[in-house]
Amino acid sequence: MSVLPLPKAQAAADPILAVDDIVMEFPTPDGVVKALDHVSLSVRAGEFLSVIGPSGCGKSTLFNIVGGLQRGYQGRVSIGGEAVEGPHPAIGMVFQEESTFPWRTVLQNVEFPLEISGVAKARRQEMARRFIAMVGLGGFENRYPAELSGGMKQRVAIARTLAFEPKILLMDEPFASLDEQTRLLLGDKVLQIQQELQQTTLLITHNITEAVQLSDRILVMTYRPGRVKRILDIDLPRPRTSETIGSEAFGRFVAQLWSDLRDEATRGMDEQQELMRNAGRGP
Amino acid sequence: MADTLGAPSRAATRAAGVLGPVTMVRIAIVAAIVLIWEAAAASGLFYRDVVPSVVAVARALVRVLADASFYWHLSVTMLEIAAALAIGGTAGLVIGIALGGSRLLSKAIEPYLYYLGPTPKIIFFPVLIMLFGIGPGSKVAMGAISCFFPIVLSVAAAMRQIPLVLIRVGQSFRAGPWDMALKVYIPAMRHPIINGFRLGLGIALIGTLLAETKMSNRGIGHLIIQAYALFDMPRMYAMLIILFAFAIGANSLLARAGKADGTMG
Amino acid sequence: MTSRLRIDDGPLPALMGLAGIAALLLLIEGLISVGLLNPFIVPKPSQVIGSFYRVVVEENVLERFVLTIKECLFAVALVTIVGVSIGVLLHRVSLLRQATETWVAAFASAPVVLMYPLFLVMFGRSALTIVMMGFAAGLPPVILKTIEGLSSTRRVLLAVGQSFKLTPRQMFWKIQLPSSLPAIFVGLKLGLIFALINIVGVEFLINFGGLGQLINDLAERYDLPGTYAAISFVVVVSVGFFMIAERAERWLIR
Repeated sequence: MSVLPLPKAQAAADPILAVDDIVMEFPTPDGVVKALDHVSLSVRAGEFLSVIGPSGCGKSTLFNIVGGLQRGYQGRVSIGGEAVEGPHPAIGMVFQEESTFPWRTVLQNVEFPLEISGVAKARRQEMARRFIAMVGLGGFENRYPAELSGGMKQRVAIARTLAFEPKILLMDEPFASLDEQTRLLLGDKVLQIQQELQQTTLLITHNITEAVQLSDRILVMTYRPGRVKRILDIDLPRPRTSETIGSEAFGRFVAQLWSDLRDEATRGMDEQQELMRNAGRGP
Repeated sequence: MADTLGAPSRAATRAAGVLGPVTMVRIAIVAAIVLIWEAAAASGLFYRDVVPSVVAVARALVRVLADASFYWHLSVTMLEIAAALAIGGTAGLVIGIALGGSRLLSKAIEPYLYYLGPTPKIIFFPVLIMLFGIGPGSKVAMGAISCFFPIVLSVAAAMRQIPLVLIRVGQSFRAGPWDMALKVYIPAMRHPIINGFRLGLGIALIGTLLAETKMSNRGIGHLIIQAYALFDMPRMYAMLIILFAFAIGANSLLARAGKADGTMG
Repeated sequence: MTSRLRIDDGPLPALMGLAGIAALLLLIEGLISVGLLNPFIVPKPSQVIGSFYRVVVEENVLERFVLTIKECLFAVALVTIVGVSIGVLLHRVSLLRQATETWVAAFASAPVVLMYPLFLVMFGRSALTIVMMGFAAGLPPVILKTIEGLSSTRRVLLAVGQSFKLTPRQMFWKIQLPSSLPAIFVGLKLGLIFALINIVGVEFLINFGGLGQLINDLAERYDLPGTYAAISFVVVVSVGFFMIAERAERWLIR
């Protein structure tokens, strides 16, 4: 793994992850709900792609389908042309909820995927230490998650997934439960690592600033049923710093995304209120 | 319930010097009981040795503890309990994981286990004697059946409480069923499992010893009922004291084991 | 996640459970008929079901049942009076509580039923022994839950009482006791269950009294189908008892 930032292989690289025409429906007591409606996307090697949408747009369903944890959909997910059925070794997932194992130390947590794939102890400890250092938790190897803050736990989860050395890093709102400052700092960290590893990344989020700061492209989804509303190229220069966030170009992207999302979020809120009025219960 | 063993009183003692008011009250209660007991023993109101003097009980206690054959009987009982806990616990763990993992199985089978749980298991003993004879086999079976219920129910409930995201993490790293069980399910359930085994130990102990008192030729239960049959009351009291000390000690030890882990998890 | 309709809702699983039990009984029946199981160890389920009538009619099951229930009620009445009183006392006198609450807790987890030879010596082979065993087993949870209920009375309710200038006696009867009733009922339910388990168990062990003795009697007569039928009967009774206790608790705590 090179520390030098390689020139980005942007030029019409093959998509390494392709999601074709996904339809996902859930039967519920109130009838069938269509969560995803003919969603297609592709992620190129080394690219950072974000999927943004209001809550209820099926983002998390998409996350689970790409991760191979959700069955029963129509359409096809493929990696390098090979269909994904079940969790794929090329995909590493980072979950929204706190997902570290409380009974394992930081080191043991990060070793977990290496243990599963049968890497020898000395080698996996060495690898785990490297990824722990990469997320900035050197010195905390022998702590238990209960002794760490929320942001640190999420960094452990990210290091654990990186240790899996996935071709594609798949993250579902990994910063959602963190406070704003931690979120910004952790975003910087993820961006830095992503650039350093040239890590192909698919991020699911509802945070506009986060999406613009991190992404090469942003895919905007509609409220239920989830469809692709727009794909936006974010051609802001890299490396992006806190100053980038203050720039005028950044503001334009944010405004554009906000107007896209406002329509969807408003529609979502209206529909949920209607649902509550009809059913007399929460969504 | 016994999780709080001694904690508040110890703090109080420390605050008030060597002998805090709580300790004083405790000593006073024990002294009062001993005095009343002695008075009853000396009064001659009770039939023969029904209330033996504390001195006689203490002497019997020493005699029992100095007797080599007592330790043989103790080891028989402890081995029976250990075997019962191993068998009932393993069955409870495996079946509990299956029930917790499948809604269908849980709905089909768990109500029966739930309602059978509190029935008095000792009534199955005649059947167990038929199946396993009057030797240690039927005692182990009795203990195993007794401890199976609290363990299977607490494991099944614990399975359902494992955070879904931890299971998904395991799946996303392509852990097989074996790795999932050993590295995700069981560690995630460590506290309820320890608690289930703690309950199970207490109940296996009761089941095994009751079976020994009913029909056997070895073990602590046998010694107790023998002392009763020979009307050697001091010896019977001594044996019961040892038994209770053992049971309460084992229970608080396991409770502490559960807690020690809790502080780091 | 969106909730999904599944086949494992509805009556299907319960039916599967029943079918499973029926299949197991048929399997045992078959194994005995073929000679793979010894009928002198495990009687045929059909024989056991057939001897239900015999056991019920010839062995005075109703009388025994009433006796066991009576013993149980006496024990629970004693447990209620003594347990709640001790609970109130320990809650009032905090020094006493600090000194003895852990003892009560240890007693709750101790194998009380193993003291039955001691009770036998003290009270003889009589119903009193059985009632006292039930009492000893049911007492600790009632004491502990009474203390728990009384000490978790919400502060604001006490403040309301003070604002109405209630005397300590009124405070206890009008506020503390009613607010701790749910916890006390939980304790009583536990006490009732522990008492029943121990009463039936001791009846069996000392061969005296109601349903427990029936099993012992039949077993000593080597009446295998009868023993199995009696055991099944006791299981059904205690399961029913437990279900009723649970319903009653839910109804009282609503």
